[in-house]
Amino acid sequence: MIDWNLAARLAGGGFGVTILVLVILSLVAWILGLVIQKSQAKDKEIPAKDK
Amino acid sequence: MFGLYESAFRALWENPGNLIMLLIGGLLIYLGIAKKMEPLLLVPIGFGVVLINLPMGGLMETIVQGEVQASYSIGGEPAGLISRVFHMGLVWEIIPCFIFLGLGAMTDFGPLIANPKTLILGAGAQFGVFVALLVALLLGFGMNEAASIGIIGGADGPTTIYLTNRLAPHFIGTTAVAAYTYMALVPIIQPPIIKLLTTKKERAIYMKPQLRPVSKTEKVLFPLVAAVVIILLVPKSAPLIGMFMFGNLLAVSGVTDRLADTAANAFMNILTILLGLSVGAFMSAATFLKIESLEVFALGVLAFATSTAFGVILAKLMNLVIKEKINPMIGAAGVSAVPMSARVVQKMGQQANPRNFLLMHAMGPNIAGVIGTATVAGIFLGILT
Repeated sequence: MIDWNLAARLAGGGFGVTILVLVILSLVAWILGLVIQKSQAKDKEIPAKDK
Repeated sequence: MFGLYESAFRALWENPGNLIMLLIGGLLIYLGIAKKMEPLLLVPIGFGVVLINLPMGGLMETIVQGEVQASYSIGGEPAGLISRVFHMGLVWEIIPCFIFLGLGAMTDFGPLIANPKTLILGAGAQFGVFVALLVALLLGFGMNEAASIGIIGGADGPTTIYLTNRLAPHFIGTTAVAAYTYMALVPIIQPPIIKLLTTKKERAIYMKPQLRPVSKTEKVLFPLVAAVVIILLVPKSAPLIGMFMFGNLLAVSGVTDRLADTAANAFMNILTILLGLSVGAFMSAATFLKIESLEVFALGVLAFATSTAFGVILAKLMNLVIKEKINPMIGAAGVSAVPMSARVVQKMGQQANPRNFLLMHAMGPNIAGVIGTATVAGIFLGILT
């Protein structure tokens, strides 16, 4: 006897959560890249202004 | 006299299953050496199969309630050379997790950080895992067994072994060999599926060869942030994801080169030898020669093919909403057979458009596939244990 409730949780929920986790991770990676690139661009601008 | 009466010839001839397994072991060694298919794994696995199917060797002996059993018995006390390695390495889950440490040290997250949307392709290519799980249930497998069979679709050997050991340990040899065989067969299985789902025009979509440069700060922060995010969301993925990200941190920190070198080379090689021999030695005739094994292999192909197909389909769907089109073939690299599937995409990309250099673009989803499969394993463990 197949427990279809559990199967649905595993298959549907599992796939949904996997997508969600990797979407969140891609957003985090994108934001991280954006912040670091901006701060590094600022660091480069400051010594140029000092000159 | 001369131990003649203890010779194993008679026992071998009385058990034709052992002879069949010796042939299977020989075939795996042949595929590894002559065809160069995953030789680092198929050669030790094949030799393990040969050793365990030579009767009376005692390599996988286990003591159960004071009696010695020839094959490994879960819950018993290991008493043979390989049963001890199997017990401490696989039953205690040490080897698959530390293999992830080595994999992390060998991985470059640069392409993935430069183009984070490829992470989504790694998730999409897990679809086959869930399809195979449902089909396995319909074929009469139990929930834990179905999950262990489904994970083959992720094309990730250590994760398959880790999950199967937790959920359906009696299947460990079959699922491990299926996963590694399909990883080796990536160049044969994936191209027809990709061709079936894409037009020549789509396969020729040009992607700029240069991704943006990724700074060292980003490379150092990514494994830390990724470990925190994934483990908080899926706690049971901690052993695999934790080791994977730690290995990568060792490689990118710039101050732990010796540790990264050991993790990626010497340590990884030792673990591969122990893993291969142990998995092979679990494949005795009594354990492996069953109709169930054939079903596992068939479901494994289904899982792997569906994952490939859905990766391509997801890439095509993404092209409907993003400005700069991606070559849909890179979706197929979302299965975690690193770097074989990325190489397949690179080769097919060049055939369709000689200007295309897709390897780095395909490495993003390929590595995302490793993360995706480990995440799926964590989800299964979270629900089923």
